[in-house]
Amino acid sequence: MRYSIYPGCTMEGPALFFLKATEAVAEALGMHLDEIPDWNCCGASEVSGVVGEFTQQVMTARNLAIAEAKGQDVLVACSSCYMNMGLTNKHFKDDPHFAQMANEALAAGGLKYNGTLKVRQIVDILVNDIGLDKIKARVKKPLTGLKVAGYVGCQTVRALPWEYDDPERPVLLDQLIEALGATAVPFPMKARCCGSSHAIAQTEIVLEHSKEILESAASNGASMLVTNCPMCQMNLDAFRGMINQVHKTNLTLPILFFTQLMAIAFDLPPAVAGLKHCVVSPYEVLAPLGVGK
Amino acid sequence: MAKKTGVFICSGCGIGESLDVDALVKVAAKECKAPVCKTNPFFCGAEGVELIKQDIAAGELDCILVVGCSNRVNYNAFDFGPSVTVERVNIREQVAWSHEPNDEDTQAMAEDIIRMFMAKAKTVEAPVPYIVEDLSKTIMVVGGGMAGMTAAIESAKANYQVVLVEKEASLGGWLNKLYKLAPLKTPFTSLEDTNLEARINEINSNPNIKVYTSANIEKTAGGPGLFDVTIKQNGSEISERVGAIVLATGAVPYDPEKLGHLGFGTSPNVITQSMFEEIAKKGTIARPSDGKEVKKIAFIQCAGSRDAERLPYCSAACCVESMKQALYLKEQDSEAQAYVFYKDIRSSGQYEHFYKAAQTAGVIFVKGDVTGVSAGNGGTLVIEADDILMGEKTMADELDLIVLANGMVPTTAFTEGAYVGCGVQVPEPEAGAEAAAAADAPVPAAPIIKSNILNLVYRQGPELPDLKYGFPDSHYICFPYETRRTGIYAAGSVRRPMDMVQAIEDATGAALKAIQCVEMTAQGAAVHPRAGDTSLPDFQLNRCTQCKRCTDECPFGAINEDEKGNPLINPTRCRRCSTCMGACPERIISFKNYSVPMIGNMLKAFEVPEEDEEKPRILIFACENDAIPAIDMAGINRLQYNPWVRIIPVRCLGSLSLVWINDAMSRGVDGVLLLGCKHGDDYQCHFMKGSELAEIRLSKVSETLDRLGLESERVQAKTISIMDYEEIPKMLAEFMEKIEDLGPNPMKGF
Amino acid sequence: MVDNKISSAPVKYDNSFAKEIYALENGHYAQICMQCGMCAVSCATHDIMDYSPRRLFNLVRVGKKEEVMRSNTMWMCTACCMCKVRCPRGIPLVDVMHDLKAMAIKQGYVDYPHAAFHQAFWQEAFSRGRVFEGGIMARFILKRGLGEIKKLLALGMKDMGMGMLKHGRVPLVPPRKIKGLKELQQIIQRAQALQEKEAK
Repeated sequence: MRYSIYPGCTMEGPALFFLKATEAVAEALGMHLDEIPDWNCCGASEVSGVVGEFTQQVMTARNLAIAEAKGQDVLVACSSCYMNMGLTNKHFKDDPHFAQMANEALAAGGLKYNGTLKVRQIVDILVNDIGLDKIKARVKKPLTGLKVAGYVGCQTVRALPWEYDDPERPVLLDQLIEALGATAVPFPMKARCCGSSHAIAQTEIVLEHSKEILESAASNGASMLVTNCPMCQMNLDAFRGMINQVHKTNLTLPILFFTQLMAIAFDLPPAVAGLKHCVVSPYEVLAPLGVGK
Repeated sequence: MAKKTGVFICSGCGIGESLDVDALVKVAAKECKAPVCKTNPFFCGAEGVELIKQDIAAGELDCILVVGCSNRVNYNAFDFGPSVTVERVNIREQVAWSHEPNDEDTQAMAEDIIRMFMAKAKTVEAPVPYIVEDLSKTIMVVGGGMAGMTAAIESAKANYQVVLVEKEASLGGWLNKLYKLAPLKTPFTSLEDTNLEARINEINSNPNIKVYTSANIEKTAGGPGLFDVTIKQNGSEISERVGAIVLATGAVPYDPEKLGHLGFGTSPNVITQSMFEEIAKKGTIARPSDGKEVKKIAFIQCAGSRDAERLPYCSAACCVESMKQALYLKEQDSEAQAYVFYKDIRSSGQYEHFYKAAQTAGVIFVKGDVTGVSAGNGGTLVIEADDILMGEKTMADELDLIVLANGMVPTTAFTEGAYVGCGVQVPEPEAGAEAAAAADAPVPAAPIIKSNILNLVYRQGPELPDLKYGFPDSHYICFPYETRRTGIYAAGSVRRPMDMVQAIEDATGAALKAIQCVEMTAQGAAVHPRAGDTSLPDFQLNRCTQCKRCTDECPFGAINEDEKGNPLINPTRCRRCSTCMGACPERIISFKNYSVPMIGNMLKAFEVPEEDEEKPRILIFACENDAIPAIDMAGINRLQYNPWVRIIPVRCLGSLSLVWINDAMSRGVDGVLLLGCKHGDDYQCHFMKGSELAEIRLSKVSETLDRLGLESERVQAKTISIMDYEEIPKMLAEFMEKIEDLGPNPMKGF
Repeated sequence: MVDNKISSAPVKYDNSFAKEIYALENGHYAQICMQCGMCAVSCATHDIMDYSPRRLFNLVRVGKKEEVMRSNTMWMCTACCMCKVRCPRGIPLVDVMHDLKAMAIKQGYVDYPHAAFHQAFWQEAFSRGRVFEGGIMARFILKRGLGEIKKLLALGMKDMGMGMLKHGRVPLVPPRKIKGLKELQQIIQRAQALQEKEAK
């Protein structure tokens, strides 16, 4: 199965190890990923708040226009990227006036997008294209006994509600966790916001929300939390020292990207799993499974 | 009298696993001597039904006891024609599904139910339908507005003759006054023309419809199938015989003179919704004071409605009407400003889209209470308000026009032009006064407002009984369109406040009810809720004391009196609730398949345990309309309840005879529970006041019990609706606890 | 926090501001708000907003421009989309918030650090085609001054940065500009021109 992949800016920066793990897991499952050549930033949740939705979506559409040549479904992992790519794509399909205007703008760079692609979240692809059975079959080291909180966050399931999962009570990530042999732990904050990009401009929001998510997962028995959003991972992981300092807590729950967890279960080389990039150490939790540094 | 009774005991659906069916057969065949008694694991299947049919043919059975599931299911499977009486003996929902399997108490319960129904079967007879001569199936529609025209057209399309009576010179009613209509069809976003001419043409060109305009109804006599109506038109009287009546006389706007607090009368630029229609119809929307074009307008919602001192109810159509009228102005001038001050926007049904359309057109909705209307600069007006969503005092000024959404009152709420439907003392109807004077007529009859519409020649009064605020419906939720006079169905805004879309649907529904009525009447059968019942009350007049209780308590005005004061039933008006049977102190009223002795035999048929068995026996009289379904639902949901109860279904608690309680107590039954419908404002009773009557009658039982030396707490009345089935086990447990506290009935063993 | 004192004079309804808002790209959605409050109860940051989205839309309707433009509501939005999913009227509140932010920046209501962060992000994206955390930070600090750094340091941001560094998550060298940057910028400029034309 071939897909175009749109990594997005964080996945070549602080979340590079997410991309590496994702690529390795995809390969292990027989998927072939073609990176969209010379892709540009999707605009995240910020650009339309400066220059408006139309301009941001045109900017995003450049990636779709380039990818269209291959005609493959576009795999997106980052939540914000998925939201912008997905919404822009939908806009092209639903609104001919928008499509015509946007193409007028794209023409300034010699591009055109005909709206033929599908933008897919990676969880959607893994569950609905690859299938849980195939993933189960690929597991070499079942994560038996590992209690994992599958934190879905917000935009992946809500930007295009019901596209592939319930926008408030998503289930697919938990199915993936269970397919790896681990136990998915339900917790109330599963699909609540972590504070997102307020990390810089209003850090307190992130510290407060992230604390609540971590406490919710931990108090429901999780020994680890996995996510598929680089922003969420950073807020919950890299900001942990600040969270514990400001809220006087001692939260030790490690935060992994779920493809890292898949890499472990697939028994891929440690470098691929990239556990050393997690700020909060996951080694203690993973020790019973024989995962070391 | 039933000669031969066959008993067919089904062992399917878990009955066989829970009960000793052979022992049940013994009770039916040996003890009760049923000439035929068979069992089968699937009686409702084709083969099972065939077995019963063969036995009917071979044994000439005229009464069948199907011992198995509730009569609320499989009623078509067990219909063997009018000459075979079928009694459904429920040992599935009420025994096997709701009690411990293979327990002696469960078994005893099932055996007793068979004994009870065998006792009933002894005297039960197949009723003979009352077939009317000279029956008319014509539908008369009173009122030629949107609802009336729709009812006429719909009835005519179903191939019924229609007589349409309109008091004005032309058809159309309220439509005559409107500039445009709020949308009647999808996508419910844009204004529509009234299309009045086309609507009237459709009526006039339909050969099934006979129209009387400028006409009044002088009198309406008779009953369903036999209404004799005298119509007065241009000074001459015309007689029509009709089968059923649709009342669609509509509503009129609430009197704006009572809206001085909202500025009516202070400026010619404060007007009502209907005045605004007139202005819009003329062409330009301009100020009445000086003809200046309107640039800024405000609508005040709930002007009179939802106001304890004026109309306590919501008039239902005004929100959408104001949206429509605001769009008139936007149509004239898209830059004109329109504000709507509302309590709650009630744009029900598809009108949510219209609300959105009005917002999109720029109409601004303000949730707030208007505190004052005053004059501003240059002939403009100012509204001051408490804006609830702002939490602040606000004002809208430079208003050219203020429109009061003044709501509606039904045409049935007026007597000689005076509005008496709301908050005003309704004059007691004569019959009611007489009845009230009699010390033993405890529930006052519903008031009848002499609105001069139908002029019924009924002993009970000339118009339809008022449910509330002058509306003649009988029960908004369960029986829309039905009034308390059989065969007369209300539709449109006379029934309850409503908009045009609802009025169209309402009229269609009422037309269908009217058609059902004439068809059922032609078969000699009852209409809803005992649809198809052909039994009628028999009066043993030689024992009648002319006390008039039956005539007073009949909820449907079905019973008149002859010149000697004896009851005289209008059979086609009868709904077979048996309230008269419960009312009669002499017990002279009975039905072929339901009577005081019949139920008496049932309650004498079950076993009453001796004192030393320490199993109190409780008898439940449960209303067939809600309580029995609730008990069945408890069984369907496998809720477990006390097995020492014995349940007798009754048509309505209004049919309860006190002698039953007397008899039960004398037998040593430890407690009696009456399970009926909720009464009061949100009553559930299918026959208006049955459970209320039963409770009032019950209050007199305490005296009887005292005479017997018993505690009056042994007899209690409870209300339950089908939704509350989960309460059944608790309700019975509590009552059982109470009875255990009181100890055994001292009459035991006497 | 916006001064929200209730003056004794009644508030006068004025629809000129509402017209301005409703003319924004997604602004017309605000006029179909029916004030149910579902957005307020769904919002992740409602408790620190000056006004819930519902109240904000009501202020727009009444005409309170200063209150709206100076409020922190749109800046507190995390774009988590819960309100958008739940709004019974189908209003994409996140997009309306973006419009309000853009309008605030355009009209000079830029007191909140978020305004600077948004602009920093935009400039980074526009000038490189991709964004680099270090670049955004530098631009943000440049706009807001060193005070922001002090604030972040007080919360323990230095340790956070060191942690990231230690775990190999901070690329010290920014990623290269995209190859088609010039074309991207031409596309964006055309888009902005078209957008402006459309607004008129």
